Amino acid sequence: MKFGPRATSVAIVAATAVALVGCSSAAGGKSGGGSAVDTLSIGSLSNILSFDPAQAHLGHQMPLYQAAYDTLVLRKPDGSFAPMLATEWEYNDDQTVLTVDLRDDVTFTDGEKFDAEAAKANLDHFKSANGPDAAQLGSVSAVDVVDEDTIDITLAAADPALVYYLSQAPGLMGSPKALGTEEIKTVPVGSGPYVLDAKSSVNGSQFVYTANEDYWNKDLQKFAKVTIKVLTDITARTNAVVSGQVNATLLDAKNGKQAEGAGLKEVSYPVDWNGLFLFDRDGQNTPALGDVRVRQAINYAFDRETMLEQLSLGHGEVTAQIFGKTTDAYIPELDDAYAYDPEKAKSLLAEAGYADGFELTLPVLPGTEAIMAMVQQQLADVGITVKQEAVPQANYVTDLQAAKFSAAWFSVFQGEPWVAIKQAIGPQAAYNPFKTTTPELQAAIDAVQTGGDKSGELAKDVNEYVTEQAWFAPWYRIDQMFYIDDKITVEPQAQQAVPSIYNYAPAS
Amino acid sequence: MVTFILKRIGSGLVVLAAISCLTFFLLYFSSTNIARNILGEYATPEQVAAKQSELGLDQPILTRFATWVGNALTGDFGTSWFTNEPVVQSLLTRLPVTLALVVTSILIIAVLSTLIGVAAAVKRGWIDRVVQTAAVIGDAIPNFVLAIVFVTIFAIQLGFFPATSSIQPGADAGAWVASLTLPVIALVISGLTSAAQQVRSAVIKQLEKDYVRTLRSRGISEGVILFKHVLRSAAPAGLTVLSLQFIGMLGGVVIIEQIFALPGMGALAVQSTTLGDTPLVMGVVLYTVIIVIIVNLLVDLANGWLNPKVRVS
Repeated sequence: MKFGPRATSVAIVAATAVALVGCSSAAGGKSGGGSAVDTLSIGSLSNILSFDPAQAHLGHQMPLYQAAYDTLVLRKPDGSFAPMLATEWEYNDDQTVLTVDLRDDVTFTDGEKFDAEAAKANLDHFKSANGPDAAQLGSVSAVDVVDEDTIDITLAAADPALVYYLSQAPGLMGSPKALGTEEIKTVPVGSGPYVLDAKSSVNGSQFVYTANEDYWNKDLQKFAKVTIKVLTDITARTNAVVSGQVNATLLDAKNGKQAEGAGLKEVSYPVDWNGLFLFDRDGQNTPALGDVRVRQAINYAFDRETMLEQLSLGHGEVTAQIFGKTTDAYIPELDDAYAYDPEKAKSLLAEAGYADGFELTLPVLPGTEAIMAMVQQQLADVGITVKQEAVPQANYVTDLQAAKFSAAWFSVFQGEPWVAIKQAIGPQAAYNPFKTTTPELQAAIDAVQTGGDKSGELAKDVNEYVTEQAWFAPWYRIDQMFYIDDKITVEPQAQQAVPSIYNYAPAS
Repeated sequence: MVTFILKRIGSGLVVLAAISCLTFFLLYFSSTNIARNILGEYATPEQVAAKQSELGLDQPILTRFATWVGNALTGDFGTSWFTNEPVVQSLLTRLPVTLALVVTSILIIAVLSTLIGVAAAVKRGWIDRVVQTAAVIGDAIPNFVLAIVFVTIFAIQLGFFPATSSIQPGADAGAWVASLTLPVIALVISGLTSAAQQVRSAVIKQLEKDYVRTLRSRGISEGVILFKHVLRSAAPAGLTVLSLQFIGMLGGVVIIEQIFALPGMGALAVQSTTLGDTPLVMGVVLYTVIIVIIVNLLVDLANGWLNPKVRVS
């Protein structure tokens, strides 16, 4: 993974010579792109912490891990679950033990066999290695080997999202021999469709994978070579996809126009919701927010259609609920629960005793100044004075979770109902810093937790409650704007920031 | 000469130690929530506390510094907190790219600025006016703006060059040339005009000196006077501006590297500093300081070689 001194010298001399004579190189801009049938090049905006599967994180990073590691459960593009390393799974009656049957014909790239012991070693390692998503297995109290190809995952309390988690970071299976070693941090050892070509990869710049020749599921292995270029700068991602250096990448509405102009295909799908968290629902720091009428007034104050048009050039769908369309908790009518009505907002504020408005301090994340200016203006129209407080990016999440602000803007992914509840609604949720709850809501949450197959449907009650009680002021589901060239096809991945590695295929 | 070099190396080591110390303490006070940023938004407070302990962030600053110094003296610069890659490996992977970019740019600037500066000083007239006007324009247009324009025209529209770097380990000279040409041209254009202006001023100053009149009165040709005497005396000004540009470029190529997605030190330095990746920042700073010390030493030696008046004994 090093450039030798000779290469540097060659580069200096050659570049000097070329630039001095003013001629262009033979290496054209299109040369970096993959051929139509057997290579795939993706522009990723995210790097990874480590190739140790226990350090994996959901969302943007998943394709980097999926290339090298299989998961126990496969999440299909529409969000449904299918067998992968696990062939089937079943809960006991009280939803506290998940029995998982495993494939018996899979080996890791170092020759180690995948079996129940390997699965247990991985799940135990994930729990103890303190990775970003370690809390996803927080409810797992034990993993037991039942036989060579069966494990029991015992839960301290029912967790309706466990199968989902087994399709994400906790489900990534590495060679038990490599787990915990220094080597696996930079060179993955899995059983996935591709093998990292470490010599051609530069951490933080590009990761090159070649097809795993012994891969057990050729249906998921569609390319001979996959390159994932880490392009954190959106201008670089745009240039790379427009010039044909990468086949696919994530852009935004503004840069997407350039990609469209170059004839690239847009594959959009909603993943995040954008809007305000109204954290202080008990009115501890901002008494006005303790009144549901004030929180509803804030919801009525936003002209969501205009905000979507101006802030995201119309790429998204307005909504007033935080649960996504791909979940069972979604209620179509709630998208229009708070149609723009500033007069109603003023009247609700007056009823609550805030006819003259009140002051609300909101944190401003660098890069969201335009959003906050619009929030300030729309709330000012109904009499609420927004005071902006700049917060560095490194402190933003910490400050929100430390209850330093009564409300805040955020863009949050719309996951499975139980994931969303643990993320933003439950009393221990990361984004419920004031730990607000009510007996009625808790009863609805408990029903979801123990609801088994009906858990998603039961989450509709939670959705209705938090929408009616205006715990949030969502504006819209923003489109993930993915662009691809004509050499490949890709299917969007439900509830994931970027498509999974399996969703790509050669166009032909 | 040997004493001079040893003295400069000695003072360089003092600077190195002082900057290491300063950087470490500045990072301590400016970096917050490192463990939280490593683990992400969904980590529990217990996870964050465990990560802080793992990284030694719960230790007193002096203990942490002493540990880092002890390891660094044995050549162990640690592992990046955000990529888990050994710091030395990260630097060895990225340093050649940045050095290739900067050294190539400086060499071209050196040659072209000397030619243009001397022409402007000797010929004066329209060449001089063009150089002076171009110096103002060159200073006014940031190199990243030029870079974006070049990418749009030469990479995206015409397809002559890759829009983002195709440099990778084992890449051939063609890939290096293709990837570095546009960024080098952007850096050269913005650096050339001010360097040429400095050379022009230094040469004019020398041409007005008495020794030039004396040489001319002895019938020595203008070419010999210019290239053997005047340029040698004017060299310190040119070398100084080039060394300053070199040092400035080491930090200033950050945006250029990001635009072209070059796997160089600039992006590494910015990312690691923003994230508070102390081991990596310290590695980047140490390597940069060492390069700066070496460049300054080479400039002093070159000055002495070119101009006997500044030669050290």
